[in-house]
Amino acid sequence: MTTKLAGLTLMIGAVTGESFAQMFLKVGAAGGPRALSSPFRELAARSRAGSSPATWVGLGVLFYGLEILAYTLALSCLDVSVAFPLGSLCFVGVAILSKFFLGEAVGTIRWLGVGCIVAGAVFVTL
Amino acid sequence: MKLGRTNVPASVVVGLVVAIILDTVVQIAWKRGVSGLPPGSSVSATARGALANRYFYVAMLAFSAQLVNWLRVLARADLSFAQPFTALSYITVLTLSSRFLHENLSPSKVVGVGIILLGVYFISRTSSLTTGGIGIGRSDS
Repeated sequence: MTTKLAGLTLMIGAVTGESFAQMFLKVGAAGGPRALSSPFRELAARSRAGSSPATWVGLGVLFYGLEILAYTLALSCLDVSVAFPLGSLCFVGVAILSKFFLGEAVGTIRWLGVGCIVAGAVFVTL
Repeated sequence: MKLGRTNVPASVVVGLVVAIILDTVVQIAWKRGVSGLPPGSSVSATARGALANRYFYVAMLAFSAQLVNWLRVLARADLSFAQPFTALSYITVLTLSSRFLHENLSPSKVVGVGIILLGVYFISRTSSLTTGGIGIGRSDS
């Protein structure tokens, strides 16, 4: 695997890791599975661990740890000018996860905002 | 505090400001921490290099403080509302990098900052917390 391909793979891992970390932290901060949309709420509430906010915060920290590892390694393979705008894709990942797993109202205006932020991040690294 | 047509609780506004400050510290320290690492280093060499750098510990300390603050913000606001505000740290990092690290502030960077600000403005026009029950397909903001 070339250094660049390894770096891009690590960035995909970092973006995915951060997006899920954010979602898990939100569930933990909101008091557990009640923050999830159906049917994920019912699935999580079935187990004792899934019902505990601490489990979700722990998962969030774990995924953040994985993101730190992946991003640090990616920066040793890629230029910051490539890694930085790719990292902004976590705003897209969070919007998708928020809509489908948390049932948040992610509408046209919010998507427009996310799109502008990602575009702006690209310009910042030009 | 009123942002557009939505009322954002003061505790959320304070939490977002603290989040941007801590995020800026994390990014600057992280940038300094990994800047000396040789390209294409192995996992163990990267880990050793990071652990031997004091900026890495500053980043981790700020990261821990950020976690506590962020949980407080997320308890009061939608994730898809609060998280995009952290993009404002791109602007603070850029400003500090230009001022103290003497990095080039090109016209494209200034345009990028403007577009990011526009994006954050759009997000601020939406409701900070989804209400009306939980589940996919709730009314849009």
